[in-house]
Amino acid sequence: MSDAKPEAPDDGSVRMMDYFMQLEYHEPLCPVVMRYADELLQGHVTGHKCPRCGLVYAPPRGYCPICVVETTDQDEVVLSDRGVIANYTVVTPVQYYGQQETEPFVRAGILLDGEGGMMNLQDVVEVPVDDVHVGMRVEAVWKPEAERSIEDVTNRSWGGAEGCIVGWRPTGEADVPAEQLQGRAF
Amino acid sequence: MEDIAIIGYAQSPSWRQADLTEPQFLFPVISDAIARAGIDRRDLGFTCAGSCDYLSGQTFAFVSNLEAVGAWPPISESHVEMDGAWALYEAWVRLQHGDIDLALAFGSGKSSPGDPAEIYPLQMDPYTITPLGADPVSLAALQARAMLDKGTLTEREMAETAARSRASAAGNPYAQVSGPSDVDALLREPYLTAPLRRHDLPPISDGACAVIMATADKARAVCERPVWIRGIDHRIEPHQPGMRDLTESLSTRQAGTHAGVGDKPVEVAELCATFSHQEKLLREALGLGDEVTVNPSGGPLAANPVMAVGLARIAEAARAISERGAQRAVAHATSGQCLQHNLVCVLEGG
Repeated sequence: MSDAKPEAPDDGSVRMMDYFMQLEYHEPLCPVVMRYADELLQGHVTGHKCPRCGLVYAPPRGYCPICVVETTDQDEVVLSDRGVIANYTVVTPVQYYGQQETEPFVRAGILLDGEGGMMNLQDVVEVPVDDVHVGMRVEAVWKPEAERSIEDVTNRSWGGAEGCIVGWRPTGEADVPAEQLQGRAF
Repeated sequence: MEDIAIIGYAQSPSWRQADLTEPQFLFPVISDAIARAGIDRRDLGFTCAGSCDYLSGQTFAFVSNLEAVGAWPPISESHVEMDGAWALYEAWVRLQHGDIDLALAFGSGKSSPGDPAEIYPLQMDPYTITPLGADPVSLAALQARAMLDKGTLTEREMAETAARSRASAAGNPYAQVSGPSDVDALLREPYLTAPLRRHDLPPISDGACAVIMATADKARAVCERPVWIRGIDHRIEPHQPGMRDLTESLSTRQAGTHAGVGDKPVEVAELCATFSHQEKLLREALGLGDEVTVNPSGGPLAANPVMAVGLARIAEAARAISERGAQRAVAHATSGQCLQHNLVCVLEGG
């Protein structure tokens, strides 16, 4: 080690070094999600219905984590593109590096009509953020067929349907009582 | 210490790129381990998982891995951001408490989505070493060079280790790299990162492994041939590679001594020698002579599912005893760069 004094006297200020890093990941879609993505392109939301408990998973995962049974194409069901907001949160964007959003936005869990199935982390559109509430009935706003993309669909369970579905808009129908939606995290 | 036994184990094949998601390929592995142990999933008193969110590039990826276990109604579980061998260690400690009699440990990882040369430098000192891009291959090459310079190893020995591993792996259905290879031909290959050639490196692998353990009474009640954990210990060294002698492994030596490796003869050793030069280094640290069969599975040079590869050494050592008649085996797992952190487990038959 050198005995030389530092060139500039230490003025006590915090010193920082910027270090920007980037990691890239490429993971092909697994077969069950690939099939789900193909159906999305055609305007269908599909899921797997557990042969044991009947819970529907959208997008499909290839198993029911509650019953611990595998599910296959045999368990595929075509789901409604209408449903009800079962839970939601309003995200207020912080302008960190890389943030694309500037205004508060909604991410909602939509319980689909009929067979069921929860589409999580969905955008709610055509309504002020403050008016969004549990029990609000909504329908999918599909992109025109030519503009649909499955680029954002990933193996991760929230699915990336936004390449095909712009968001979910209120239908104006009467609300579903919130009590009926309790216990629906899946 | 309470006697704890391994009563079931299972592995996935090792794939260069798995078609399935991590929970999807974990699913049958965990179910198989449970079935082989002859127990009910609901009787597990504790579950511990080993995985790394950096590998999959997803925060809390380890949570979805639990979907392959069955976690509803809620179970008692834990996770280590480490190889599944350390998940097994935590589960072994948990069984020592004496209030539960069955535990599951598993490890899993998909290395294929990312670039290991980009991801691994992030485990290093972020100020001085990460910006250099110090990846595992470069650091392992420095270690091999130190051994060659010291005269404790030759490049031919490294190639012989690689050739023997590939030949042994021919009998292992889970292996990714296997088959005959000619040592002279291997030595004619160009260096990848001198002094390492391609055969000195492990493959990039996706895969999983699961092990079921039981306390003594439970093991005898449900298992015909339990494999007893007679000693298990792990030791760690400084993470700055410049702060230790890379030509030996003090932490492996200490862990081996505390686990009792030298107390009786060893027939089989499954060593997590991720690079070919590390096998001889580990043999010496553990005092294993030429009579010991090392890595009959092919070891990490044949299949390297990061976060499962160490636990797979324990599963393979257990297999040597329960399926192939060995009486005493040693398993080794490692973590960090250049054998920074080492776990040694001594297994015996009935």
